[in-house]
Amino acid sequence: MNKKVLLVPLAAMTLSLVGCGEPDVDYTDNTRLTMRVHVDEGSEEGNGYKEIITAFNRENNGKIRVDLEFVARSGGIYETQLDNDKRKNTLPDLFTFDAPKCAYYAKNGYLYDLSSSFSTTEQDNFVALNRYQSKLFGIPIQESSAGFYYNKDMFNRAGIDVSGITVDNPWTFSQFKEACAKLKALPGLKGAVDMRLDATADETATYLLYPFIYSCGGSFVDSTGLHALNYFNSANSKKGFQFLKDLLDNGYTGTNYGAQDFFTHQVGMYLSSGWTIPELDNHVKWGQYFPDRNSWGLLPYPKADDGTAVSCNGSWSYAIGNNPRTDKSNVVTLLKYITNAKSSKVITQHTGMIPANKEAQVGYANPGSAEDVLLQQLNKTSVQRPETVGYAQFSSAFGRAIKYLKDYGVDKSVDDAAQYLEKELSRLK
Amino acid sequence: MALIALYVFAAFIVIFLAVFIKDFIKNRKSHYKYHKGEVIMAFVLLAPSVVLAFFLVLLPIITSLGFSFTNYTLGDPNNISLAGGDGFGNFRDLISEFQIKGDFYHAIKNTAIFVVFVVPIQIGLALGLALFVNNKRRGTTIFKVCFFAPVAVSLSVTAFFWREVLANRPDGIMNSILANFGIPNQDFLGTDKILGWMIAISAWQGCGYQMLIFLSALGNIRKDLYEAARVDGANSFQRFKTVTIPGLRPTMLFILITVFIGACRVLIQPMLLDQGVYPGSVTLSLYMYNQGQKYGNVGLSCAVALLMTIVIGSITFLQRQLLKEKKK
Repeated sequence: MNKKVLLVPLAAMTLSLVGCGEPDVDYTDNTRLTMRVHVDEGSEEGNGYKEIITAFNRENNGKIRVDLEFVARSGGIYETQLDNDKRKNTLPDLFTFDAPKCAYYAKNGYLYDLSSSFSTTEQDNFVALNRYQSKLFGIPIQESSAGFYYNKDMFNRAGIDVSGITVDNPWTFSQFKEACAKLKALPGLKGAVDMRLDATADETATYLLYPFIYSCGGSFVDSTGLHALNYFNSANSKKGFQFLKDLLDNGYTGTNYGAQDFFTHQVGMYLSSGWTIPELDNHVKWGQYFPDRNSWGLLPYPKADDGTAVSCNGSWSYAIGNNPRTDKSNVVTLLKYITNAKSSKVITQHTGMIPANKEAQVGYANPGSAEDVLLQQLNKTSVQRPETVGYAQFSSAFGRAIKYLKDYGVDKSVDDAAQYLEKELSRLK
Repeated sequence: MALIALYVFAAFIVIFLAVFIKDFIKNRKSHYKYHKGEVIMAFVLLAPSVVLAFFLVLLPIITSLGFSFTNYTLGDPNNISLAGGDGFGNFRDLISEFQIKGDFYHAIKNTAIFVVFVVPIQIGLALGLALFVNNKRRGTTIFKVCFFAPVAVSLSVTAFFWREVLANRPDGIMNSILANFGIPNQDFLGTDKILGWMIAISAWQGCGYQMLIFLSALGNIRKDLYEAARVDGANSFQRFKTVTIPGLRPTMLFILITVFIGACRVLIQPMLLDQGVYPGSVTLSLYMYNQGQKYGNVGLSCAVALLMTIVIGSITFLQRQLLKEKKK
């Protein structure tokens, strides 16, 4: 064999190793900025970002140019890339992040402090901002809320009157249970309500169910976010978990419901986020069960009998990367542009979610519509998920408490979950 | 970090060159002489594999070993110091978690139960299947294919498949079948049953591969030994005990060690069957993955890896010592 031929793979290997070097990013050139988003370029949301950035580049031609990078969030790839960039000190100028992870990213120095970049008036323009230790680190891209989708025909047959229930006058846990008892009495149903108690493998159960604990005056962690014992398993928190256990014990809900049970009239109510509205509107798929919007409705979260009304919120947010660029003025200009009312409308037109910018919420929903219920709830009763550096650990602990609720009861499942969370949080001190 | 890797790589290259020079000198002294060019070419051809082995095998092992004594986290990777001040903080942490019967305790307990059951069941099944298909009769090829088929399917796919079969829903495959007989919905993957299913599924999937190895070993046992035993009046069980088992001894040792190591590293089955990290199904590998990847506690995760390596290595060594053939 010609020895020169052998040199080819050797040279290729050497070059491939050389290629593993650091990327060439010039942080002194303030006219070129980088922005990274967590969705696929071809997705609807991706198209929204493209539209916004194209408009920004056009309006700032010759002054600022933004390079948009798409890293689809699949199997933790997006987060891993952020971790790698942090290690190499090559974070993008602006990137998106999952809002509950704000404390984690802020504590570990991923995020630039925005407190002085946004005036109080500007901050008041958003329903919920992402803070850590009172400092502002993230501006929401869009918002989300959830509620109880209900089958109007079943409610009529069961004799349940929900006409007086509004976000300002929500139903109570007792009224909710009464409705469940009536629904359960209907023949041919699996249960009354799909509470998504089976969705503990990801964030779904945590996102949908934490308001019940807050409604009873409960909590999850202390103000430092590093202690869970006597918070997660406080008497009030257990009241919230007890409400869920009661629904299980009475057979109103279960852990074995399928994702389509509400859509196929197996249950009368379904706890879900705003994503379900376009799903129900998909007449090709569900037309025989829900032919139009008169066949279903949306109710707000019930509140504890002696508690307050609480609902969920939070989606993904924008943050400025804590990278070597010292002059952040142009990045702040970009952030303000992509979070203004116009951009907020653009992105939510693509995703169907609720605009995070209050100005953009004007005209978003028709009065009395399902979207209106979610919007009102978001602005009036929504409370953010707990602020803790160990949010991933909290979410696991919450899922664990829910999973074991049926078999072990409230005391053991919640105490064990609190113990678990306390141990995991102790590793972050 | 990169600097340390370079130092280690430099040391590795020095060792590699030393071996090269030693080999070269030895070659010059030996009676059979290679050409100088042949020796150089041999090492040049070896170099890519050696470099790749260093970066993809040796360096991660050394790095992981080093991380186990640090507080390295994914969130703050540039702020590494010795764990607990003396480097043993992660190990103390694991001991304390074991004492309060936290997830680490459950991971050890579940892994131990899994290994104790899956190793004999899987090997027993594999041997039984091998003996079954070893007899030349009509249709054995079909059986061989059927028994080996699960091995060709990825663990993730089989785990998903069984999750759907055993799903605690009326439309779960098993529950749908039972419903036809008037049996109510069963929670097959409930907290107290999940480990049993993990064992059953793992043994089912893995035994086909060991069956093939046993089959090959059975073919190597001399037929005249069976004839001699038959002439001596040995019944089939006695022939199995005195001819087959001794003949399979080296293969058995290999299978025992590989199945044991594989069982200790069980990860996919609990991850996909139970869809999370729960005391009822968490194993050491899943605990390690969860701490390192999900919670970012890389140092702690590496400490678990180090402990696992020591325990698996020790038990494997013990197995070899106990089961190796005694030299006459």
